[in-house]
Amino acid sequence: MGADSGPGAPPAVPWRKVLYERQPYPDNYVDRRFLEELQRNIGVHQYRYWAVVREAGLAAQQVSCVAVFSHIMVLHGSRRPGTLHPALGQSWVCTFGTLTASVSTDTVYAMSSMMLLAHLVSFPYTQPAPQAVLSLPQRCLALCVLASRLPGALHTFAMLSCALLVFALWPCLLHRLRTGRVELSPGCRPGVHSWVGGLASLWPGGALLLLLALLVLTLACPMLLVHLQRHKDNIHGPVG
Amino acid sequence: MKSRRRRGDKQAAASCQPDAHPPAPHSPASLLPSGTARRSSQKKHSICMVSDFFYPNMGGVESHIYQLSQCLLERGHKVVIATHAYGDRRGVRYLTNGLKVYYLPLQVMYNQSTATSCFHSLPLLRCVFVREHITVVHAHSSFSAMAHDALFHAKTMGLNTVFTDHSLFGFADLSSVLTNKLLTVTLCDTNHIVCVSYTSKENTVLRAALNPDIVSVIPNAVDPTDFTPDPGSRDDSKITIVVVSRLVYRKGIDLLGGIIPELCAKHPDLCFLIGGEGPKRIVLEEVREKYQLHDRVRLLGALDHKDVRDVLVQGHIFLNTSLTEAFCMAIVEGACCGLQVVSTRVGGIPEVLPDELVTLCEPTVSSLCAGLESVISRQRSGSVPPPAAIHHQVQNLYTWRNIAERTEKVYDQACQQPVLTLPARLQRLRSHCGAVAGSIFSFMAVINFLFLLFLQWLHPVHLMDAAIDASGPDSCWRKSFKKGKSKDPHPD
Repeated sequence: MGADSGPGAPPAVPWRKVLYERQPYPDNYVDRRFLEELQRNIGVHQYRYWAVVREAGLAAQQVSCVAVFSHIMVLHGSRRPGTLHPALGQSWVCTFGTLTASVSTDTVYAMSSMMLLAHLVSFPYTQPAPQAVLSLPQRCLALCVLASRLPGALHTFAMLSCALLVFALWPCLLHRLRTGRVELSPGCRPGVHSWVGGLASLWPGGALLLLLALLVLTLACPMLLVHLQRHKDNIHGPVG
Repeated sequence: MKSRRRRGDKQAAASCQPDAHPPAPHSPASLLPSGTARRSSQKKHSICMVSDFFYPNMGGVESHIYQLSQCLLERGHKVVIATHAYGDRRGVRYLTNGLKVYYLPLQVMYNQSTATSCFHSLPLLRCVFVREHITVVHAHSSFSAMAHDALFHAKTMGLNTVFTDHSLFGFADLSSVLTNKLLTVTLCDTNHIVCVSYTSKENTVLRAALNPDIVSVIPNAVDPTDFTPDPGSRDDSKITIVVVSRLVYRKGIDLLGGIIPELCAKHPDLCFLIGGEGPKRIVLEEVREKYQLHDRVRLLGALDHKDVRDVLVQGHIFLNTSLTEAFCMAIVEGACCGLQVVSTRVGGIPEVLPDELVTLCEPTVSSLCAGLESVISRQRSGSVPPPAAIHHQVQNLYTWRNIAERTEKVYDQACQQPVLTLPARLQRLRSHCGAVAGSIFSFMAVINFLFLLFLQWLHPVHLMDAAIDASGPDSCWRKSFKKGKSKDPHPD
């Protein structure tokens, strides 16, 4: 029947959701069962605040790592140039030291901060492993660029070993911690974060900023996520 | 959007007359309309069907437009079709019974869909609408950019609009989100929408945030004379499963690749006959290679529409593995040829055939195998009805004449509704489509309106030649056809 059928007695047959039968209803009839099969928010993970905070701790940890690295860098950079230690005069350290010497200081700092930021974004937080594809080369590059601003080969070498510790070996340890092979986690995180205190002695403003960033990251962002969960409206509709 | 609605008693009561007359055998006299249809058929419409998809492209939308247009012509309406140019096929062509087709020079962008800028097609489409005295613009398929454009321009020009959605769409991925937004914008001020199944209606109502009362469900149809059974052409010494579909992901070809080895191992007399072409052909070829089934799995490649029936009648069982489907024409065609149909229970498929004609399974390999096993054992025991009986049962389920009659009522209803004026339209866009998209498209509607004013100044309507009607009440097709010469003084 068409959309504008004439008046008459109400149809006795109940409406069925079939097309093969001519039913005494207009084509634009809307039954009570319309959209009955619509399902919403199937299999949506309900986050709990403190669980999210725990997970966010990992991101905060990585931010702290970068802060540690930057701090060491600044400390090194402020020292007087020392003499070249013969035992440590490896050629590759020298190469690092002069590779980007001709690039202006502003560019070097801008580039390295961009790279460290990229490292933070692309760090594999769900599965911290040394095989990180993207984040590892990024902080290596940051290191290369920064190496030329160091006063000497000794500093460059120290910086390199420190960076290896912070960026290459730390994720390995983290991986072990998360897989449960080493149980250190509760004590270790405040340990990393306590660098804020160390930084405060050097640059109080920076320490305050870092503290704020860490607080926002660990407390405010999870709160926002949990709050936004309420607005989640995922349709599993009649698509088939 | 209200998710559940119930029509008022008055409206429900208005619909009680059963559609008693049997679906049409093939003579116009048998099309005698019921009382309501007679009243409505007094008004003849000038309809312009717009879609990117039309002959020579082949598919469900194309045949829908063609068959529907033919049946509307038969009912005395004037129908013209506007599509984009296909290669050498440009300008105006006439098809059977004076069905006029405009192949407009619009640039094809992707998958036979034209590029859209919202404006550049206005001069051409205005020309068509004005010269043909169009009263209703009927756009087809949400994949067609030209259909969206035409609706946009038609509303600017104050014409009544109808849209038919032929496909289901998801909600989650990026392309769906964008297409659904575009659909919301297009449909928020369209007079009436047609969907091909109830599931498709639910899908469209959700996607475009529509009032379900302005959405009608009118299924597709098949021409039963094209799909007649022929038990003689099949080999009864073995059991043949036929699959006719494009070999693409949506049609569940990966499922088919899982079914073939499992069933072939169990039943040594089982054959597969697969018609169609597509990127997933490689999956089937790999299966055939791996299990050494070259003599039992035949891949026929792309089929012409006229060859489909000859392939279908060679089989005992028709298998459809689609993962999503608004209305599955293929299973109706298969059943019409008298085959046992096994299909996945997805989208609108459960609505299409009665339970005794189709075996529905979940879209998994194990469920489909179980369904096929049961049909195979029934086939072996001979407890299936003969093909002629199935054909007889299916042939009257979906006919184009019935579809055309129902579509005519949609036109009648659409024409009773007012076309929104520009301020009302802007308000509707802003209130329905969100602040950002609503404002953008309001702006475009205003620009489109100014562009239309400019065109009206450049080519005033009273200076434009009216096209001679090839169809409709004032058709001169038949007499000029009989005289054997063209009377069209406007060779476009």
